[in-house]
Parts: sequence; C-alpha cells; structure tokens
Amino acid sequence: MTGLRGLERSLPLFYRAICGRGCVVVPYDDDAHDRQHPDTATTVRLPSRVDSPTDRWYQVAMAHRAMHTELGTFALRLDGELPEPFFRRLRPLPDDGSQASHLEQFFGHLSRPALALEVFVALEDLRVDAAARRLLPGLRAAYDAARAQALATRPELAGRPPRSGVGEVLVRISLGAEAVTVAGSLVPVVARLAALAAPLGTPEATVESTAEATVRAFGLLARLPNVGEAEGPAREVDLVAVDSGLLEHEDDRLGSTEVRLEGDELFDVRLAPVRYRDTPGPRYLGQSASGMPMREAILRLTPAEPGSGGEAIQQQAQDAESGHVDVSDPSRPAPPPEPLPHDHGPDLGSHHHAAQGVLHAQHRGEFVYPEWDHRADRYLSHWCLVREQHPRPGRGDRLHRETLTRYRHLLPLLTAQLERVAPAGVRRLRRMPYGDDLDFDACLEAMVDLRTGAAPSEAVHAASVRDRRDVAVAFALDLSSSTAERLPVAAGEPARRILDLELEAVSLLMEALERVGDAYGIYGFSGTGREDVRVQVVKEIDEARGIRVLHRLDGLKPHHTTRMGPVVRHLTHRLKQHEAPTKLLVVLSDGRPFDLDYGQQYGEDRVLDYAVADTARSLDEARADGVNPYLLTVDPAGDDYLRRMCGTDWYRVIDDARDLPAALARLYVAARAGSGRAAATAAPGRSSRRTPGRSGAAAAARPA
Amino acid sequence: MTEPALASEAGAPFYLPTGDEVELFRAAYAGRLPMLLKGPTGCGKTRFVEYMAWEVAKEAAASRPPLVTITCHDDLTSADLVGRHLLSADGTTWSDGPLTTAVRQGSICYLDEVVEARKDTTVVLHALTDHRRILPIERLGTTLAAHPDFLLVVSYNPGYQASTKDLKPSTRQRFVAIEFGYPPPEAEARIIAHESGVRVDVAESLAYLGSRLRRLDEIDVVEGPSTRLLVYAGELVRQGVSPRRACDVALVQATGDDEDVQAAVRGVVEAVFDS
Repeated sequence: MTGLRGLERSLPLFYRAICGRGCVVVPYDDDAHDRQHPDTATTVRLPSRVDSPTDRWYQVAMAHRAMHTELGTFALRLDGELPEPFFRRLRPLPDDGSQASHLEQFFGHLSRPALALEVFVALEDLRVDAAARRLLPGLRAAYDAARAQALATRPELAGRPPRSGVGEVLVRISLGAEAVTVAGSLVPVVARLAALAAPLGTPEATVESTAEATVRAFGLLARLPNVGEAEGPAREVDLVAVDSGLLEHEDDRLGSTEVRLEGDELFDVRLAPVRYRDTPGPRYLGQSASGMPMREAILRLTPAEPGSGGEAIQQQAQDAESGHVDVSDPSRPAPPPEPLPHDHGPDLGSHHHAAQGVLHAQHRGEFVYPEWDHRADRYLSHWCLVREQHPRPGRGDRLHRETLTRYRHLLPLLTAQLERVAPAGVRRLRRMPYGDDLDFDACLEAMVDLRTGAAPSEAVHAASVRDRRDVAVAFALDLSSSTAERLPVAAGEPARRILDLELEAVSLLMEALERVGDAYGIYGFSGTGREDVRVQVVKEIDEARGIRVLHRLDGLKPHHTTRMGPVVRHLTHRLKQHEAPTKLLVVLSDGRPFDLDYGQQYGEDRVLDYAVADTARSLDEARADGVNPYLLTVDPAGDDYLRRMCGTDWYRVIDDARDLPAALARLYVAARAGSGRAAATAAPGRSSRRTPGRSGAAAAARPA
Repeated sequence: MTEPALASEAGAPFYLPTGDEVELFRAAYAGRLPMLLKGPTGCGKTRFVEYMAWEVAKEAAASRPPLVTITCHDDLTSADLVGRHLLSADGTTWSDGPLTTAVRQGSICYLDEVVEARKDTTVVLHALTDHRRILPIERLGTTLAAHPDFLLVVSYNPGYQASTKDLKPSTRQRFVAIEFGYPPPEAEARIIAHESGVRVDVAESLAYLGSRLRRLDEIDVVEGPSTRLLVYAGELVRQGVSPRRACDVALVQATGDDEDVQAAVRGVVEAVFDS
C-alpha cells in the first residue's frame, strides 16, 4: 500500500515542474465509484491510498495528468494548421460564439458525444502515456508497473456487446496490451483499431492526431451494435505487429453506417476507468451548460440509484442522447458533489472571477492591494481596499500609566536586553577620526601624503557604529470583534478583554522602545470585507510619541473581522518607505484570519485554507521586501494554521492571554536580534511559560 | 570537446549564441556604446563578454589583453577601480586600478554584478559612459582620455532577491541593455555537452530537467538551476557519478532546505534519469 499522506505539497510542485501549472491535490477515500472524482483545471483528485506494485504510483498519476496539459490535450484547435490529412478534411468549423472549448465542440460534432469522449480519452491517454514514458525515462519502470497492474485488473471481455467490447479493447491497447482474444467477427475491427492507434505512440503525434484517430475509431465503434454478442469463434489478435496498410483505403464517413438497434441507448458504452489516469470530467467537457455533453456527462458520472426503476433511467438516457433534459425534474440525478463551483469550466482557469470587479483607491488614505488566490494559483489584482483612519481618541493616557505601573518590573530588564543585543544593522564606517580599528587604506594614504609633503588626514580609523534608529518596527493589533471577549479573572481584578492585553503589551513595549530609540509604529486592523479593510493608525513609524498617540491607543475598539493579508501588505509598504536596515512587522492576533469574503467563494470548508494561503503569501512578500514578519497569537489552536502560514521560527502561540505583554517583549527582543533562527533560540516557544491554574494538569507535569 | 562540430578555434572561449546578442554587441562596439547585460545568474553573461572580447581582439589584431574583469562587491571603492598611491622604498608610486588600465590600453572593461558596488563608486563611470569618454583621476589631478578601443560593459541581475539594491537611474540611463535568459533546451544541451564533456543524451536530459525545474521559479519556490549548475552536474556525470546522484548534489541541494520542495525536485530528477 502506498499513501498520499506527506506528499500533498511535493506532488503539486512535481506537477508544476512538468507542465508549468499549479494545482491542488485533493485526496478521496470513498472509492465507491471511480467516476466521481474527475480532475478540474486546478484540482487533482487522487485516492488517499492505493494498493500498488510501485511506491512511485502517485508520481506516475501526477506525470500522466501533467503530460495532458504539457502535450496540449485540452488545447485542441479546430482551426489550426493541421498535419492530419483526414481530420483536416473532416473537421468542422469552430463556433467562436460558443463558450465551449474546441475540444468540447469536437465531441459535439460526432453523433454520440459520450462515445466520442470515451474513444478520445482512451486514445489520448495512449499518446500521453507514450510521451511520458519517453520523456521521463526515470519514471518508466514505475509507469510500466502501474500500467501492468491496470491491465491485469481490466474487466472481462467475454459477454460484452460488440461495441463496448471493442471499446474495452481500445483501453487495453492504450495500456500496452500485446494481444487480445475476441470473437471472430470482431477481428478485423480490432486489427484496424490497433493500426490506427499505433502512430499515437510516436513523438510526432499531437492532439490533432488523436482527434483524427478518434474520428476513425469512432466510425468503427459506432458501426457495431451495442446489444447482443459478437459471433464467430474466439481468436487472438496481435496488437503489436499492426498492419498500417489496413488504413489506406478507409472510407470512413462520420456515422454513415451507424447501427442503432432497439435498446441500444440503454447501454451506453461506459469503459471502466484506469486508476492512475484522470477520469474524464470538466476538463474535457467544459461548463457550457447548453451543450449536450455536459448533461450526458452528469448522467454518466452519476451511478444509477439501485431500485430507481429501469424505465426512468432509460428515459433519461434517451433524453440525454437527444438533448432534452428537464432540469426541473426532481428525479433527475443530482450532479456529483464535485466539481466545486469555481473550477468546472473549460481549462482556462482565468475567467471565473471576471464577474467581480477590481477596486480603486478614491481618496487619500486609501490603498489597494492584490490578494493571492491559491485555488486559482494567481493573484487577484486590485482586490482589497485598505483605508487608513485615526481612531477616535479615548479617555486619556490612563491606560498607559496603568500599564507602566502594572509591568514596571519588566521594564528595566527589557530595556537592558534591547540595548545589549546589537541590532543587525551595524554600520562599519571608514575614514573616521576615531574608532576601534585602523582603516588600512586610509593609513596608507596618510603615509603617502606625509611622504609627498601634503598634510595627512587624521581620519584613519574604522568604526562600528550602531545607529539609534536602525530598527523600524510596525505593530499590528488585531481588533476583530473576538478581542472583546473577556478573560477569566482572579478575585479582585477588573475584567479585562484580549484587546486590553494587546494594548497593554504595546504600551509596555512602547516605553522600552522610546528608551532605546527604535522607530516604531502602532496600527490596529479590522474590516468588513475586501472593500473595507480598516487600518487604525495609532502612531506612524516616524511620528513622535505625544499625548495624542496615547489617547488614540486608548480609543481602539473591537470591530468585525480579521483579513490579515492586505494588512501585512499595507504595513510592509509603510515599512519599505523607512530607511532603517532592519525592518520588523509584529502581528498580534487572537484567532485565525477570517473575513466575510475571504475564500468563501470556494465553499465554507475552504475558507481557512484560502485565508492561510493569502496570509502566508503576504508574509513571503514582506520577507522578499526586506521586512521580517513575526506573529504572536493567543489562539490556543494557533499552531495548526500558523505552521502552514510561516515557519515555526516566525510565530509564537501563547496559552494564556495574560502572558501577552511579557511574551511580546520577549518576541521583540528575539526578532530584533536578527533572523528568525535567532528568534527561536532567544525566545523559547509556547511551552516555556504556562500559567498554573489555567491548564492545570499540563502545567503541573512540567517543571516551572 | 567530444563533438568536433563544436570545437572552436584554439583559445576562443566557447559561446553559443541564442539570439541576436552577438550582432548587437558588434554594433554597439562599433559605436563604442557602453553596454549593460541583464540576466539571471549563471546564464552565460560573463562567458559572452569573454567570447566577444576575444572576437573583437582577434579582428583588431592588437597585442593588449582583450578583457579586464572586475567583480563588484559592496566594499569596492573608487580607488580600487581607478588606482592608488603605494609606498615604495624611497617614496610613493602610483598604481593604476583595473579600470584605468583598461582605459589606457583600450580593453573591454567588464564590471560584473555592478549593483553590488556602492553607488558613490559607480559614479566614476559616468564620464566614461557619455560622449566625453574620459576618466578623471582625482589623486593625480589628471584626466585620462579613453583609448579609442576602450569599451565599458556591466552586468546586472535584476531578479536578485535578497538585495534591495538597484541601479541608480542616472547610471542606468547610460547603457544600452541586452537581456539574457537561459538558453532554450536544445542550445542548452549543446552547451552542457561541450562544457562538461558529457554524452549528448545525458546533456539533453539535463537541459530538459533544467527547463522543468525553472518552472518552479515562476512561483518563487526555488531559484531555477542555472546553466552553470547543469554543467557542473554534467561534469560530475562525466567523472563517473550516477546522473541521479550528480543532480542531487548539484541541483537538489541548491534548491534550499525545504523538505517538500526537495522531495518534489528529487522526484523530477528521478523521473528524468533512471539511474
């Protein structure tokens, strides 16, 4: 058994390397019906476990899918320059007014689109497998093992009606079967099929070659009845030594001699899928709801309800075949739960957000930022509007004074720590009149000057100087409504909110920063959607700390949601304008990023993934811009998503919100000391300090 | 070296043009226009300059060294470029810096990774890169007019992430810029085969692998492997290391320490090479 666990991140990268596109791997456990898990343009669905002879089965499955994209399966053009003579003659003109892809239009032009799809998929898989085995020789052994296993587990041929029997032979050809035993009357058909499939294994074959072969193979299959059994004694047909001469006098004409017998429609050709390959789904059929293939696909993809009555199914099948489906009919089978709303549709992936508009900054203090949509693997440009505001001043500086009283004991140590740790931005100055070392070049010049008779300069020292303002930090305080939550209180203490502790934390640190001279800004953030992300400016980075700053700090109020990505982007933008060599962004939050329209377009269960991916992206951008972002959260579940959002060196989880002021001070000391790795050693993580009483047993088990 | 078709004239650096850069360089050289070569690390900028310098010197049939290369770093002072007085037994002697040498003798002067140099250092280039073509030497109190064959070429890697450095607009405005990218797989395969001496089929696989891995670059997961790294991998293979192992040390380890990324890159390597 091979499992998908642990491969969820590396497989999409593998996929991207081979075909240049992003995807998300979604595992499924329910194996009841293979066809329920088709891929979409951005999602690859794989079983969570497989019983496979090779431990590289998942790479084979990914390589097959990637090669579809790489080799242009979904980019079939009906109007291109075609090398294939037959298809060039027959191909229909593309309908450019149609939303359907050319691939989908192609199926629509054959008299039985569902059958055409099956034939095309089998032939195209043959071409893709051949190319994958040719281009990725290192994977060939695993590939062949997966193919051999698939071939060995194909359903029986005996007892099938001729059409679906020959269809099954086609799948076996695509899996590299060397010979097959069929009824005598089918031998010529199978031989022809093998002959027309053979060229698809060559490097020259394109998706148009597959289309050409599909038209021919479709002609062969459509002429066979789909009821009864083929006649003649069973004979073995060699599928390897094919006779290409068989194709020379072919007079295939689309559906000219198609057989339609009574009851034919009841048994549509449904070929059992091959496990390591993707099953035909929205990538082949697109979304255009008016097209027959999609409806038929829905019918085909939905397993028949047991006991729902053969008549109804027959009626549906006939309706589907003739293009009439009553969408309001309650007995109509529901479409499968997947694909998701966003990702069916032609393999373009770029239009599904077209309906929603971009935003523009209209006023002063408004900023527009993009957002990372990890499902679509691209940025949504002009997506979030950030509005800077000053909070309504509060009651005064009482908060600040109380904080200082409460945490007075922390302050000297904190200041000392900050002063001791030399920040990363030490500058080495040359040609200084004094310093801790000699500047060799300057000495030499002074000597030269002496000898040449000029007055030598006295500035011959090299000095290491620590600028007072070589650190700039922005603190971002989560003001979402959950920060209004009151904390459990000990007797005699006033009730406090998480927000109060956030304010105390920055208030304390503010005092220390004033003493050591770091430049710092304080911002609160909240919002009610992408067009209303609010950043409350308590103190700009270069603003002097005056009484107004303290008043504003006191005036911060909880307000709605936490859309973290745009806030990180905005404060990164602010920090970038500062000349300090060390730039830090410290985010204090009480929960996971969440907003009203932050990933909800992909369904409620994707919201966290979406928000985490966007925030992670914004943190990466910050790092790329030279801003080191650190996160501090009082959410006990924080580990689960923060680990995905940024490396463990970049965040801290606090068990008890009452630790926040001390924890923030520790984090800041560590962060300022330089890299994230330094942060890990200087500020031990969550286990370092637990307050007894709150998490009793855990704390008791641990030495204090 | 294995393929006679690729063997170049004795002493000539091997360079395989991938676009019109050779013609452009010749045209710019004819007008003595300063040139800026932009492109990712290890894509052949330095080799290109060496090749062109050799070509140009061959045509001029001059005896001077054709190329003076200066690798820039942030401690590079203008004295390092222009020259300085040195102490000698009985006084001082002036020693030309590499830039001054090139200006005097009419070589091509190549400043590699010019953004790494401090901005006040690069200002000495300004008078050389316009119609004046002079080099003021402050300490000697003289101004040196450039030799008619002197040409200034600088290189610059715009995608360099860790650096917030950029060229000053007043510097950038003085150069014609030729953009370099990694060569297409066929050309890259020839380069790898030539440089490392590895078998052509291995070189082709390495080039294919390189082009795949660079796709991960687009999402900033990893820096795509440079042609130089692919040549190193080829070199290891030629020395008898198995291709998978060679790619592991030359390419996989270069992609960073993220385990998932390494697993993915190794997966691609093992898909392309069967041993």
